[in-house]
Amino acid sequence: MAMIRNKARHRLVAVSLILPYVAIFALVFAYPVIEVVRMSFTNAPLIGGGEWIGLGNYIRLFSDKLFYTSVVNNGYFVLLTVIPTTVIALAIALAVNRLSGRMQALVLVMFFTPYVLPVSVVTQIWAWMLDFQFGILQPVIEFFTGKPVPVFKNPNWVMPTVATVTIWWTNGFNVLLFLAGLRNIPTELYEAAALDGATRRQLFWRITWPLLWPVTALVLTLQLILQLKIFDQIYLLSQGGPFNSSYVLLLMVYREAFQLNHGGYAAAISLVLFLLIVVISVLQFQILRIGGKGK
Amino acid sequence: MENVARCKEGKSMKIKALVTASAIAAALGAMSPAWAQQTVTWWDFFSGGDGVRMKALIEEFNAEHPDIQIKGTTLEWGVPFYSKVRTSAAVGQGPDVMTYHLSRMPLGLSEGVLSPITEEDLQTAGLNEEDFFATALDAARDSEGQLHAVPFDIHSLVLYYNKSYLEGSRFLDDEGKLTGIESVADFEEAMQLAAENGSETPVTYATGDDGGTYRVFYTLLAQQGGTLISEDGEVLPGDSTDKAVKAVEIMTKWHEEGWQPEQALYEASVALFTSGKSAFQLNGVWEVPTMKDLEEGGKLGFEWGAVEVPKLMDSQTTWADSHAFAIPHQEGTEMPPEKREAVMTVIGWMEKHAIAWAEAGHIPAYKPVAESEEFATMQPNATYATLADRATYDPRSEVAGVASPAYDAAENIISPAIHGYMSPEEAVEQVKSELQSRMN
Repeated sequence: MAMIRNKARHRLVAVSLILPYVAIFALVFAYPVIEVVRMSFTNAPLIGGGEWIGLGNYIRLFSDKLFYTSVVNNGYFVLLTVIPTTVIALAIALAVNRLSGRMQALVLVMFFTPYVLPVSVVTQIWAWMLDFQFGILQPVIEFFTGKPVPVFKNPNWVMPTVATVTIWWTNGFNVLLFLAGLRNIPTELYEAAALDGATRRQLFWRITWPLLWPVTALVLTLQLILQLKIFDQIYLLSQGGPFNSSYVLLLMVYREAFQLNHGGYAAAISLVLFLLIVVISVLQFQILRIGGKGK
Repeated sequence: MENVARCKEGKSMKIKALVTASAIAAALGAMSPAWAQQTVTWWDFFSGGDGVRMKALIEEFNAEHPDIQIKGTTLEWGVPFYSKVRTSAAVGQGPDVMTYHLSRMPLGLSEGVLSPITEEDLQTAGLNEEDFFATALDAARDSEGQLHAVPFDIHSLVLYYNKSYLEGSRFLDDEGKLTGIESVADFEEAMQLAAENGSETPVTYATGDDGGTYRVFYTLLAQQGGTLISEDGEVLPGDSTDKAVKAVEIMTKWHEEGWQPEQALYEASVALFTSGKSAFQLNGVWEVPTMKDLEEGGKLGFEWGAVEVPKLMDSQTTWADSHAFAIPHQEGTEMPPEKREAVMTVIGWMEKHAIAWAEAGHIPAYKPVAESEEFATMQPNATYATLADRATYDPRSEVAGVASPAYDAAENIISPAIHGYMSPEEAVEQVKSELQSRMN
């Protein structure tokens, strides 16, 4: 009898602990998501109801040239950021790991500082450094190309530059993840391998790399999701130009919703982006898992 | 803060209404002076020199009207302002009166955020339709001719010039005024001359920004009689495409000759003129106060003037827009008649005191002020005021006007094209398909 009552109480406690989260989740996530899905089938403005137009928004979307341009640009940006930032973060983490004590803390702080800055500050710093008229990095560019380059106004330079800024900004966090991963590898393994006469290269490829793989897979997945959602840097640095060469899906959502008051169409684009992210990240995680099992 | 304040005000108004409705109200007749005072919530987007002058006008109004108090808030210009108006009006939390660009009327009308200004409203304000410039008034109407805003000014692109580069040439008359520019060839000759006289960039405008590029492009297109977007929604119909190509070609040539700055953002483009490096500046009238202040402070170092953009192509016309007053249509709430009366009183007073606003370079849309003696002696406004009758407003389309896809296209396509990243023909084709695809 007491047992049963205990069980019931147990459940009550559990429910009361979960309930606040579920309620908030339902209010600020589940409900808006359902609304977005509903809205994407209407011609609603930004605020207020609209009429049901079935697949109208999707038909329009799949015949909108700007949509395909944006998808390609999103892909290009992912290519420019995800793997480079992972490689750079791993290299920095390996180097920092060799330091110790205060020196390590100091270097870590230096790499982590950009991550603390808000995006508007980051873009302002880089906009100044790369300013066409007086940017202090222009002489460096001039040294390599022979003339100053308006980086955010040149269709070939804009995406790589935004990618560089993004990597500089977000890399610190990845370094931290890798460092935590490195610290989890028992030193005995390295000692034993060293006794067997393993070279530095062998130590890395036979011990560090496979044991670090779960962290690497996590960083790659987090980065993929994050970089597919690129918006702030583009909005602040290039506004999608020139010639739409930095136009991305979220910028399209913003312009349609807030500039042109097309809430329904914007909802349809966001839903497609959402599905893209889900599919790509699940796919990537599965591939990485399979890759990890082979090790 | 602003929201909280407004909510509180709303609540106390309701309580007051209850009180007045009840029989007890009669006994509390002594409270009526407090009840009669109207607070008008005002939103604008004026910063800088414009903002200072607008705030002075508001203060003056408040001092003169103990029964009506304007509570002004300045918000960020462009998309943020209009998004906020739209979203707040949709939930009945918008202002009582706001400033609005007439070029953005088409989108405002489609959003249904602009309440009609009736004949009665104008009477309350002490205004007549005949007292406004027709170009501005037409831009404030919907397709059925109903007014939805009261124009306050006309502001356009003008040509600023630095006399020191033109002295002794045929481009200055006996009084030292700009003359002799009647075609692109004349203007280019003047620029060539200025370059020889040591002007670094003979003509400056914001070549890397949306506004600067758009306004010059649109003026060159309009002077050829070209249409950016026709009334039935076609972008660059007929030979307007060729005319647009011509406009981009001219701007490209100025770049290739080194006559205009490369990738200049707005502030930099103004600085080129104020620092004396440019002989000409193509910019809006709103930079007049900057020039006047520098001149009065003795920091300018050269004599300047500003004129209506000369006839460079086939006819003389200039891009123009108007700031106007509008009353948002608030969802779910009807503005009480006393409040509406107060708002119209504010608008009427502002129109009649627009001479202070003209100090900011603008041309008053209200003719009794624009034709007053005081305005006739105001320089350089009086010189370029002739443009008011033949100005070309932005096309009436939801994708045109301030902070619209048309502006975006100027920064995204025309600006890089004039810097040589794309041929004028290709660029114009891209503008066409881009704007066409944004309409539905």
